[in-house]
Amino acid sequence: MNRHRLSDTAFAALGAGHPSAATLAELRRAQFGKHLLLLGEIARAEPDPWYATERADPAGFRCLVADPLFGAWAADRLRRDGHRGDRPEPGGRWLTAQEQDLTIRLRLADSEPARHLLGLPPTGPLSDAEAGEWQRCLTPAWRLLVTRHRPAAEALAAVLSCLVPVQSDPAARGISATSADAFGAVAMSVPEDATALAVGLLHEAQHSILNATTYLFDLLEIPHPLGYSPWRDDPRPAAGLLHGAYAYLAVTRFWRAERAAPQATAAQRAAEKQPAEDQQQPGNRLAAFEFARWREAVADVADRLLAGGNLTAAGRRFVGALRDEVGPWLAEPVDPQIERLARAANADHRLRWRLRNLILDPDDAARLARAWRAGAPPPDVTPRLVPGTRRALERSLRLDLIHATVKGDPPPQPGGRRTAGDAAFLRGDHGTAESAYVDRLFAAPDDDAAWTGLALVTGHADRLECGKALTMREQTHPVAALRWISGA
Amino acid sequence: MALTGKDIPSGAAPGDGEPVGPEWRSDMVDVSGLSLSDLVELTKDQDSALALSLRRLANDLTDPGEPIAGFNSAL
Repeated sequence: MNRHRLSDTAFAALGAGHPSAATLAELRRAQFGKHLLLLGEIARAEPDPWYATERADPAGFRCLVADPLFGAWAADRLRRDGHRGDRPEPGGRWLTAQEQDLTIRLRLADSEPARHLLGLPPTGPLSDAEAGEWQRCLTPAWRLLVTRHRPAAEALAAVLSCLVPVQSDPAARGISATSADAFGAVAMSVPEDATALAVGLLHEAQHSILNATTYLFDLLEIPHPLGYSPWRDDPRPAAGLLHGAYAYLAVTRFWRAERAAPQATAAQRAAEKQPAEDQQQPGNRLAAFEFARWREAVADVADRLLAGGNLTAAGRRFVGALRDEVGPWLAEPVDPQIERLARAANADHRLRWRLRNLILDPDDAARLARAWRAGAPPPDVTPRLVPGTRRALERSLRLDLIHATVKGDPPPQPGGRRTAGDAAFLRGDHGTAESAYVDRLFAAPDDDAAWTGLALVTGHADRLECGKALTMREQTHPVAALRWISGA
Repeated sequence: MALTGKDIPSGAAPGDGEPVGPEWRSDMVDVSGLSLSDLVELTKDQDSALALSLRRLANDLTDPGEPIAGFNSAL
């Protein structure tokens, strides 16, 4: 038997998010083999007559084993050692979309038990109308992908074959997930529109491709220390960072192309009351914002992975190719206002992450206070991760406001959720914003949104959690504390 | 040069249908062309490359790395 293999050229292209058709075929073969190995272990432990269908109907048997949810079923069966009696029962109906000469077929798996194994609560069986909604969304999403993102569409068609509809999360406009046991399956809530579906499919296909890669090659040494991720509010291991960077590489490439894509015609814009032709249109502005935001995040994570010492040689090759892909995008010009908001959105998330996940030990807090009172420089204290933080991603009001600003939506009315500080920050008036955030902190010293806002507009963002701790302990002026901690 | 992806590729070991040059070889053997009954028979040899693949697979089942990855539009 031969080992699975990839040429260095193919492996680097895979890391850069450009896997060839031959590479994807190799990954599919490996995943089919994985399913077969899992079934072999089940069969050795539990001889069962249904395996004999292989002799009667070899093609049907291989079709069953190749299904993405078969992998989830088999892995679950082996993990739950001793569980007997069930068998995979693929069901549901087919979603199909064709554009030009490229077709995607997705089994809409809304009934079989294995759909519960993808990490998100699935819906019950869909009505014809609900299934029709998925089809009505897939058709324009596929048109968008094939006409503007052809290589990505070809990869999707080669990788994805199963969609599990899941329950919506009221805290998000849309959620989706991919299991390492189910190559080619995506669990997804009803998307907001065709563009959201296109991005979601691209994102999840990347997770499947990376899962298939790590099945063959170790990219990371263990253990994986926890750290900051731009895509989650809780501390993440290097494996999670790699998945985020790889998924967002494809997302960034999508928005890079979309920001330059032609938008609606003048007549359509007039009918929809969109801005005049010489102004940058909302779709392009949002695309530019997403592109600017995620290129920075992907490059930052790739740099930290490369510098972190947790990558194997294969991992360094893979992540190095990823970094080389996103590198030139960093120099591409973006509207300065959009760039400012994108950088602010990333910085805001990082600051919120620090306040959420880092704390000062009491001894360090006391050292900090003593130095402050003595007029000495701040001592070198090291905040530590809050233990036991669970999976988290909370909606940010400031991010919602940034999105609204980018899209040109009307600002929330007075008395709504927009604070005076955020209003000033969004229009670039940092002096007014600083005063407003300070006023808020005098009234509510524990308001993390005001702390992150203050750090953004003053530029004193270094060790924000220390500045907050000092202010609350010593009742100092917030800006003075941040300036001192930052060494300004 | 052989194996694992933990080593820097070197030498000239052409893969199937790929240009001659360095390549990355996995620990995992390609069993996709086997029947289930043949596979079960072959796994009886505990010292084979297939056995190594099975041990790696067992490790993956125990520690899947990033078992569930996903996206939340709250970002």
